[in-house]
Amino acid sequence: MSDPLNLVFGALADPSRRQVIGYLSTRGTATATELTGELPMTRQAVAKHLATLADAGLVEGERQGRETRYKLTRAGTEWDDRLDALRRHLQRR
Amino acid sequence: MIRKEIVLPAPREEVWEALTEPERLEDWFANDVELDLRPGGGASFRWSNGEERHATVIDVEYERRLAFEWDDEGEVAFTLDDDVDGTRLTVEESSPTWSTALDLQASALALV
Repeated sequence: MSDPLNLVFGALADPSRRQVIGYLSTRGTATATELTGELPMTRQAVAKHLATLADAGLVEGERQGRETRYKLTRAGTEWDDRLDALRRHLQRR
Repeated sequence: MIRKEIVLPAPREEVWEALTEPERLEDWFANDVELDLRPGGGASFRWSNGEERHATVIDVEYERRLAFEWDDEGEVAFTLDDDVDGTRLTVEESSPTWSTALDLQASALALV
């Protein structure tokens, strides 16, 4: 199961994990605690689902104090910052 | 593949310089830039946080198009077009590992 596509399909095959993705898509970011309050799952189940989604590269977590805050992986967001920097560069001249 | 478009308030010539001259790239893209602007030429980008990336130029069309391939993974292409407000710059980046995963993520979202 180390094939990246197997990980992705495996992660998306589960309806609960798709719910987690749907929630993150609406809210932007969430911690495991917040997700537990919103979805009909135990905290343990939420944590496990988040780990599976992260292994598949579909979500990414950022440590915040004692908790990890998760968001959907969005390729290309770095280009928004870079193009913004390019625009400012051109305006300076 | 990701695709970004931006209209920049500068003529194509000016945008081209900002994309291809190392000293100008050092003002917006990376802290230290080396670029050999010809197909097969090498490029190095270093950032102040210690990150370093290398690339190989694959396509140069003067003031029109610049494409390079990251040595770690993926390709980036810049395309420049005239626009009434200046220059329309299109950036396309493809990366074999994340593109399929994110396409599937988007499909899953459409089904939630």
